[in-house]
Amino acid sequence: MSRFRQPSILPGFGLTLGFTTFFLSAIVLIPLAALIIKGSSPSLAALKDILLDPRAIASYRLSFGAALLAAVVNAIFGFIVAWTLVRYEFPGRRLVDALIDLPFALPTAVSGIALTAVFAPNGWLGEKLASVGVQVAYTWVGVVVALILIGLPFVVRSVQPALIEVQRDLEDAAETLGASPWQIFRRIIMPAVLPALLTGFTLAFARGIGEYGSVVFISGNLPMKTEITPLLIVIKLEQFDYQAAAALGLAMLVMSFVMLFAINLVQAWGRRRHVAAGR
Amino acid sequence: MSIELDQVTKRYQAVPVVNDVSIEVAEGEFLVLLGPSGSGKSTLLRAIAGLTEIDRGRVSLHGRDVTHVSAREREVGFVFQHYALFRHMTIGENIEFALRVRHAKAAERRARRQELLRLVALEGMDHRLPAQLSGGQQQRIAVARALAHRPKVLLMDEPFGALDAKIREELRRTIRQIQRELGISTILVTHDQEEAFALADRIGVMHQGRLLECGKPDDLYTRPATRFVSTFLGAANLLLGYRSKDGIRFAPPGNPAPAAASPVHEIVTVLRPEEVELASERKGLKSTFVGHARVEEVLFGGAVERLRVRMQDRGTVASAVKGAAASADGTLLEVTRTLPEKRQLPVTPGQRVALGARRIHVLPTPVSSFSAVATTEDDCARIAGSPLLQALSTRMLTRINHRIEPAIVQPPNGKPARALAPLGVAAVESGPGGAARVEWLLRHGATQVLCLDPERPVPARVVIHAVSDAALRPTMAVASSLLRNLPAEAAFLDIQPQELPEDERATQLRHLLDARSEAAAVHGLDVRTELRFGDSATELSKELAAEDTALLIVGLPLAPAADAWQRLRPIAKLLDARGGGPVLIVRAAT
Repeated sequence: MSRFRQPSILPGFGLTLGFTTFFLSAIVLIPLAALIIKGSSPSLAALKDILLDPRAIASYRLSFGAALLAAVVNAIFGFIVAWTLVRYEFPGRRLVDALIDLPFALPTAVSGIALTAVFAPNGWLGEKLASVGVQVAYTWVGVVVALILIGLPFVVRSVQPALIEVQRDLEDAAETLGASPWQIFRRIIMPAVLPALLTGFTLAFARGIGEYGSVVFISGNLPMKTEITPLLIVIKLEQFDYQAAAALGLAMLVMSFVMLFAINLVQAWGRRRHVAAGR
Repeated sequence: MSIELDQVTKRYQAVPVVNDVSIEVAEGEFLVLLGPSGSGKSTLLRAIAGLTEIDRGRVSLHGRDVTHVSAREREVGFVFQHYALFRHMTIGENIEFALRVRHAKAAERRARRQELLRLVALEGMDHRLPAQLSGGQQQRIAVARALAHRPKVLLMDEPFGALDAKIREELRRTIRQIQRELGISTILVTHDQEEAFALADRIGVMHQGRLLECGKPDDLYTRPATRFVSTFLGAANLLLGYRSKDGIRFAPPGNPAPAAASPVHEIVTVLRPEEVELASERKGLKSTFVGHARVEEVLFGGAVERLRVRMQDRGTVASAVKGAAASADGTLLEVTRTLPEKRQLPVTPGQRVALGARRIHVLPTPVSSFSAVATTEDDCARIAGSPLLQALSTRMLTRINHRIEPAIVQPPNGKPARALAPLGVAAVESGPGGAARVEWLLRHGATQVLCLDPERPVPARVVIHAVSDAALRPTMAVASSLLRNLPAEAAFLDIQPQELPEDERATQLRHLLDARSEAAAVHGLDVRTELRFGDSATELSKELAAEDTALLIVGLPLAPAADAWQRLRPIAKLLDARGGGPVLIVRAAT
């Protein structure tokens, strides 16, 4: 083990590695292992029936599709929010800055109920949207809206510090060299902020896949239409069908892991380039 | 002209950080803008590049007005203090950036890159990343990158600021060489005078947003026009001198003056430390005697010896003007001597020596010293402690004398006494009796009188007015001298009678513009000018009525004292008013 030892300000490589292993095991690995064992206990045929049930497939599509869409929307608008907060000085800036974190702190059920109240066909915004033929609550759009609310702080908080680090000098330099605002954005600002943006995107996406509380109220939970996988799992649990619940959970786990791992690989590749660039 | 700035002003929160700056830079010229931090030099440079918008004025590059053109279309090269290299790009990509955004062909980009790398002597570094280069190398790359699009103007903002001394010197030579080779007009900003001397064809010295002086390095050093430049470029002892037709003396004239004496003017002289001669006694001096002094400190500095000497017998020697160095027990002067000089007369601390001046330079400044004039010592101290006088005396490196004058309250009908008003600017308190105090001073020969309320803050604005054409030039001279030391914006107000015929109006306007361009040429100062028609007292009160404090400078003709006072009558009520802005009265004595 001693060949891995490196000088560090935290004492005791053995102690810290031990703690990391224990912590990961107790909190992450052991429960997941239990899930895997439980989820894979039924026969292959039964597993196939549970996982490829049209209702289940519809729920995967909604869960992953809505989470992806919400994360993309958040990546764009979260970037703009972070940009505004970092680059401009305006009255109430600190207040807006504090408001960003609110979805973190609020119980998700509360945000779900609040969103439903606003977007329901007789709600504030729902009424106006209904008059132009758009229905948000009780459709997949509502699911996306809920996930946007939940995921926004992840993007803003990831991008903010990276944006602060982009020196104004660099933009000024690019401008004197003849770059247009778009070229400055694409060639100077984006390369510096992209890793952080990708992190924020990943966090928002991961959170969106697992989100339950805020979605169940606004989605209306129509099977095949607005039913998310976490809800399907809860339904199975309520029917005491633990095996099906575990199997669905395992399926989610595998899909999430594959997607997050892929994003991480992309990020690592980007970071390598960045680190090599001396950051 | 390659770069032309015309009356450029930039304000941050209403405070001008660049104040009415006009410069011209010739084709291929290397101009160094020198100034302490916060003098506005970097802001000015950014304004030329288009990175900062200006509030007033005009910027032209090669005859094209670019005031409202964005930085990206100005075609300038800009080098930043902290290099500002794009860290995620290789050296090659950095250098090619300007060509890439212009969609130049790959072959052309490559050729230009090779050429530039050769120019900065860093061939073969194309594929490195900026972080793999030393600071000096990074700045070379930054210079190469700034030149890639063949700009006609190169602007550098403290390019050596982040480098250590040795690399700094080497890079300095490289940049000078490149600049000569390409013949590119260059402005470099620095606070380091050594750098300025080493690089510049011309140096412009900036202070508090104003361009004080601009000229060849040796001219600025030997013949500075302002106190700031004389002390900022090299070391300088500033001494008050007294000029009469017999020559310049350092001993103040007696008061009252002997009846036969010729008129004496107070002047400010620059005595460089290396121009001071030391001898053991007065007879041994080869140059003009200045005074006796005691050696306080001897520092060996390699090629030269640095001394601090204190002139102690105040009765016979110069009055100090250099701020902190002046105290009750004498004036500290700096002296440097070469080693041969040192061998001829070795000195030790405590030793008494005679000082001589080999060469002195008389500053053309019309404002020499300040005297607070009142009936009691307390009142003198109150006037001297006013924010305006404190600000001026600190910045002008001059002292405020106290003058207790019981007669100043007496009605002016009596015969003028033999007592003379103080030389320099005499300051009295405004408010009831203010006009009478000013009158007393004018009748006793004062040429510059400042009437102020000691409680009021430093004025943010200066209004200049001359009651006659003859008074115009000296008024401008005094105003320029003050404005170099006040971060205030100035306006010159010419007021003509309402009934002036049309053709005379045009003549008047031309006079005014002539006076302005003369002020700019002679004193390096640009002021806004305005021509109004009406009654001068009304127009002036109107101008001064704004909510901020404004300093009014009024120029009077050089006429007999009583006559001067008559010309001032219309505005006497401004002097008697309590809580008004300060008024400076200048009599045209040259």
